[in-house]
Amino acid sequence: MVRNINRGVLKAVLIVLGIGWIFPLIWMVLISFKKPGEVYGSPFRLPKQWIFDNYPNALKSFDFTLYFTNSVIYSVGTILITLILGSMFAYCVARMNWKFKSVALSYVALGLIIPAQVTIIPLFMLLRSLHIKDTHLGLILPYSAFALSLCVMMLYAFFRTVPKEMEEAAIMDGCNVYGAFFRIILPIIMPAIATQIVLIFMNTWNEFFMAFILTGQEEFRPLPIGLLNFFVGRGTPEWGMIGAVMVVSSVPTILVYLGFSEKIENALTAGAVLK
Amino acid sequence: MSSFYNNRLALFLFSAPTLILFTLFVVYPLFPQIRISFFDHDGINYNGFVGLDNYRDVLHSSEFWHSAYNNVKIVLISTFVGLPISLLLALVLDRMSPGIRRYFRMTSFMPAVLSVTVIAQMWIAMFEPRFGALNQALSTVGLGDLKRIWLGDPETALPSVAFAFLWQYIGLNMVLFYTGIKSIPKTYYEAALIDGAGFFQTNVRIVLPLLQEVVKFVLVISVIGCLRQFEHVKMMTNGGPGSASRTVIYELYYRAFNMYEFGVGSVIAILFVVACLLITFMINNLVAREKMEF
Repeated sequence: MVRNINRGVLKAVLIVLGIGWIFPLIWMVLISFKKPGEVYGSPFRLPKQWIFDNYPNALKSFDFTLYFTNSVIYSVGTILITLILGSMFAYCVARMNWKFKSVALSYVALGLIIPAQVTIIPLFMLLRSLHIKDTHLGLILPYSAFALSLCVMMLYAFFRTVPKEMEEAAIMDGCNVYGAFFRIILPIIMPAIATQIVLIFMNTWNEFFMAFILTGQEEFRPLPIGLLNFFVGRGTPEWGMIGAVMVVSSVPTILVYLGFSEKIENALTAGAVLK
Repeated sequence: MSSFYNNRLALFLFSAPTLILFTLFVVYPLFPQIRISFFDHDGINYNGFVGLDNYRDVLHSSEFWHSAYNNVKIVLISTFVGLPISLLLALVLDRMSPGIRRYFRMTSFMPAVLSVTVIAQMWIAMFEPRFGALNQALSTVGLGDLKRIWLGDPETALPSVAFAFLWQYIGLNMVLFYTGIKSIPKTYYEAALIDGAGFFQTNVRIVLPLLQEVVKFVLVISVIGCLRQFEHVKMMTNGGPGSASRTVIYELYYRAFNMYEFGVGSVIAILFVVACLLITFMINNLVAREKMEF
């Protein structure tokens, strides 16, 4: 009896807490529908009059397409390179016979404990001397290199659970190692690959530090940096527009999150299993 | 069969690209980093060997020590306020119905999937002195005296930024804890509940000890995350007012990319990575030393 009441109270507390938790998000959405003068009114009130002008105005003064396209290029590029290289590497460490495979695995795992912030200065210079600073590749390659560690570790763990019989059957049928890998192995590890895609997407799409330091030219900046410059250039009366830009630029990640929430939570927590 | 797993060419083709890319962009830069730290370097040219001058400069700089102190504050706030809240929420969540669980995970996890830029801008609005929700809420409940220019006051700037940062990741840490709790076989604590143990007793005596490994893991990533804090500070206060809310990485960025003292920046980077390794090592060896098997 007492337990049931407690449970009811806790339930109510959690529901209220959940709404309170995302109150800042709700407030931003509301501001994006308010008239400029009304922003100064109570934050807890709905707009007196719902205004939709903020959205077209925001898109007119903020080059959303440019930053969005850049973000897509960075994310897709990083996902492709990391997954292709990472799955091949994880496979040859998990399956093939070579002396240094455990050394190679530990070496790549080093990336898990070297934060990108530490090498940003030499990385900045390296990109310049390779003449890829301020190109798309100049961000995709470092992103992929840093993403490889976790990707290799997770795929390696997954390969160890895949029985060898599948490949052995393929070899009997006259498949060579490449055919076996691309036609038999990759389809089997698809669930793990899907988790990796979501994980790398979330990390790359929201990455700020490297993009902030390494992209010097507007035309190569991804969404988070473009947003920052837009916000810095706006004054208080334009909060409605700021709110609108925030909503528009959050839609892609929110959609991905709503669609794959389990996958994202699993992916982000899967690291815990590795330790 | 063995020719399949011993194929040298395939081995090379499968392993070399990863090793090359990883070495070039992750491992190799550590070496020039050490070299630069002994030189006067403006970002383009080496302007002469200066020995340990850069190290002396950093170790005698009050801004550097203040930024390190700020990082310590953020770590303490997140470890002793943020993590206990996440853990408590995870424990409560475990007792709730699937519907509530799903709802609460969704809402609390949402900030972690949004861009830092959006989160920072949102909290700038929350802390805004005139129309910000925080000051307005304080007036509404009659605590108008507590109103402040949150981000412009040297005393409240860093805690406000730390709060925004904490807010973004409490849900993520909660889900991490929750995943750990789920992996504990239910039979362990069902037995205790049948024996009449309450919520706190069950958790303190049974769940927490079994959760040590997860606690340790979350502790490591949250401490390292606090140490590398840069984004929220950069966007919410720009290290200010003055240099009141700078963190170590902000100081690195400021010295290297604003003052063009790349040698000094490299010294900060080296001290930073040493500190990170030491702290990770300490947590791994001092926290939860007995391994639990279940």
